[in-house]
Amino acid sequence: MVAFRSTDTSGRTSGLLLRCVLYCLLALGLIIFDKRYDHLGKIRRTLSFVAYPVQLAVASPFEGWHWFRESVTTRDSLRADKAKLEAELRVAEFRLQRYEALETESERLRALRESTAGVADRFIIGDLMDVDLDAFRERVLVDKGASQGVFVGQAVLDSGGVFGQVARVEQYTSEVILISDPAHAIPVQINRTGLRTVAVGTGDTSRLKLPYLPTSADVQEGDLLVTSGLGGGFPVGYPVGTVARVRRDPAQSLAEVDVRPAAALDRSRELMFVWLKPAPAPVAGAAPAAPAAPSASAARPVATPPPSGGAGTTAKAAPKNTSAKGAGRP
Amino acid sequence: MMREERVRRLPMLISALVALAFAIIPLPAVLDQLRPDFLVLVVFYWSIESPRAGGLALAFFSGLALDVINGVVLGQHALALTLITAWATHLRLRLRVFSVLSQSLTIFMLLTLYQFILFWVDGATGNPVVNYGRWLAPVVGAVIWPILSATLNRMRER
Repeated sequence: MVAFRSTDTSGRTSGLLLRCVLYCLLALGLIIFDKRYDHLGKIRRTLSFVAYPVQLAVASPFEGWHWFRESVTTRDSLRADKAKLEAELRVAEFRLQRYEALETESERLRALRESTAGVADRFIIGDLMDVDLDAFRERVLVDKGASQGVFVGQAVLDSGGVFGQVARVEQYTSEVILISDPAHAIPVQINRTGLRTVAVGTGDTSRLKLPYLPTSADVQEGDLLVTSGLGGGFPVGYPVGTVARVRRDPAQSLAEVDVRPAAALDRSRELMFVWLKPAPAPVAGAAPAAPAAPSASAARPVATPPPSGGAGTTAKAAPKNTSAKGAGRP
Repeated sequence: MMREERVRRLPMLISALVALAFAIIPLPAVLDQLRPDFLVLVVFYWSIESPRAGGLALAFFSGLALDVINGVVLGQHALALTLITAWATHLRLRLRVFSVLSQSLTIFMLLTLYQFILFWVDGATGNPVVNYGRWLAPVVGAVIWPILSATLNRMRER
């Protein structure tokens, strides 16, 4: 012990203590400021410029590997894929024919009700970056950020259904919180009955739960849950999941309902960021003249100003064009 | 003296960057839960082996990097890492003469304390992680500590 003290001069130790206290106070100050006042966006952004190259360096070999695997697929598998995709496209187009009529109808009805709550208007596609964030939170990093107009709270979908929403935006990346994160809740509606409730994440990508349904609620296994659009964050009518299990304990007042998410939360690599259609001003004026409204709303104003001009990946949600093309197919 | 310090800092920074990359490299979900805190171990190593090269500053800024990359409240990892590194620096002379087993046990204790501080800050800022998996990382960290310190020793001697 004495020997240690003589090598480790007392000046060093007190210096260590002093610096430790200083750094800890600094860190505590950061925590408090970040939590309470949210003033540290600029500092965080600066630091993330340093972190971005590391993230990019880690992600790129894996992206290279995906690219390599894609580029060496055989002709046969490509042909099989093509056949499968064509079949899928045919089914999708078949459904779209009906969709257009339904959408016109629903828009007419909505105009009558003077509400255009949460209709999806514009998408951009983002790719998942191969980077693991905290293992115990359900978050992913996507390669679209503030420079593409992504904003905090924006809804994110994948090809199956609702995926999550944007939790944090950097210049070129954004962090998406999955609907399965325990801190995430999404307003939903049971498609069969119209019953509204809230789906909460469980920390398990294969399961959500509906904790607020009474034992007597009309819910069955296999019921489809869609977004209700309440709260305004998510577009209305997108699938969230299907009810996987209902447990009713007569002694409890609430039922335990498990939901299997519709989106491939642990597998999707391509995600869609959605902009909701802004509530059009003329609807209020056009509402009394209801019969005239459909024609006005049928020529949907697709020229909504994007927040900051999305890249080439930007695609207007215009089923009209797709189905017109579909009708032209033999 | 000046020159000596400069020589010492480069491997320190490089190993810290590599450890940061290891902290976010994608792993299957099972392994992901077992992922040790590489950056913390590397910071420990440098604060034990060459405390004069600015181990605490390294700890603080590595912690900030972890905060940004993990997207948690800014300062959380910085606080935990600074505290634990200060303690490791304090213990360094004893650590150097410990056997491998006692070294690993000490590292395990420090890593557990580190996780506890993270856990505490998580709770205090209102987003607690409800998962026992995070307490596995210290075990794995203590197990790989001898390997990591031997590797870094070799790198430093070169």
